[in-house]
Amino acid sequence: MIKCVVWDIDNTVLSGVYLESPDRLPDADPVIASVLRELASRGVLHALASRNPPEAADYVRQVTGTSFAAARCGWGSKADAVAAITAELDLTLDAVAFVDDDMIERAEVAAALPRVLVLSPEDAADAASWPQFGPAVVTDEARRRAEMYEQRRRRQAASSKFAGTREEFLRQVGTRVTIAPAVAGDAARLHELSVRTHQLNSSGVPLGAAEFGVLIRAPGRLVVAVRLADDFGDDGLVGAAVTELDDAGTWSVPLVMMSCRALGRGVLDSLLGWLCRSAARAGARELQVPCLVTERNVPMRLALAAAGMRAAAGAAGADGRAIFARSLSGELPPVPDWVTVETVP
Amino acid sequence: MTGAEPAILDDLRQLLVTVTGRPDLGSVAAQTPLFGAGVGLDSLAGTMLLRQVQRRYGVDVAAEDLNLDALETLGSLAAFIAERVGEGPWPEGQGPC
Ligand SMILES: [Mg+2]
Repeated sequence: MIKCVVWDIDNTVLSGVYLESPDRLPDADPVIASVLRELASRGVLHALASRNPPEAADYVRQVTGTSFAAARCGWGSKADAVAAITAELDLTLDAVAFVDDDMIERAEVAAALPRVLVLSPEDAADAASWPQFGPAVVTDEARRRAEMYEQRRRRQAASSKFAGTREEFLRQVGTRVTIAPAVAGDAARLHELSVRTHQLNSSGVPLGAAEFGVLIRAPGRLVVAVRLADDFGDDGLVGAAVTELDDAGTWSVPLVMMSCRALGRGVLDSLLGWLCRSAARAGARELQVPCLVTERNVPMRLALAAAGMRAAAGAAGADGRAIFARSLSGELPPVPDWVTVETVP
Repeated sequence: MTGAEPAILDDLRQLLVTVTGRPDLGSVAAQTPLFGAGVGLDSLAGTMLLRQVQRRYGVDVAAEDLNLDALETLGSLAAFIAERVGEGPWPEGQGPC
């Protein structure tokens, strides 16, 4: 049972960044505020761990009307903060959950403290119904979702113990990535991904399900859906790319996005490798990915750089985008042999 | 190479071991490519490495280097950092944020 939830502040409990606009501080996120109240009514404790000055915690107390049993505000690691809060409240790590909008922070905490239940804010809104949070009634659906998180925890624990390269681990646990043309039935999930992926999203522009439906049918466009599974479980549709097939010898990819579920599992690298190879096979000379350049999607920029893509220096335009491109001659980034590609027109 | 660079390089090797969970990278050569075969730095490990660099040295590589060319090798990353800071790493938890 979870006895304490440790919350990040910026873009998690608050719908914005505390230090960004001092004269107009962000409100509490209404969904998270109601989760805070619901869990508190069940006797679950709340705590804060944030890279902010201590005043931010006071502000959060005030704006959510919730009391927090502990707060760690500072520039150290979140894993250290969660461990310190757990000790301060005399709990064990299995009784603690950690919620953060930043997938890298989540990955760090999950790696350092594999017994802690690590959740995104979207997960946290759902998790109140899971058995670990002691709801009055547990539905089958809630039990199923909680089980998906247990799979993740088992994978993390296995990965932490594994002595070898990441690639060897992915192979050992039977990682399967499937890249296939998206179909109409994928549109709702693609919309959800386009809203929820910030750190692994090249465009930063959310699209509706209907817009994805149009793109999937449009001639001259290729929308591919990426699915992920391994021996621990099936993560379903985790990512996508929208490509404009241009006669002039360039494949331009206006959207690449990937769920945090795929983080560290070779999926985005495989997708970029596949894009390069498919474009080259189709006779294109260059692959281009226009990418919004922000602090938040540095992980996307890293994946582009790892795939050998570069932008012209100082190229981020007025819209904040830079076009990352690479030639398709010479050696292309690899697609590992665990990636299955279904027929692409 | 400036005076601080060898110390920074040693520090980066330790950070690389931490973010990848691979002790064998503690002796990686300064000129080994970080992307692709060998080290195989991916988004996750790469972002964690850049954040550690920012916490320890106050250097925001991603903000200054659009193409992340500084991440070509540990040697190029050490040089990038050394150009921007005079001394070695700050003691744990005492660097600027
Ligand atoms: Mg945050």
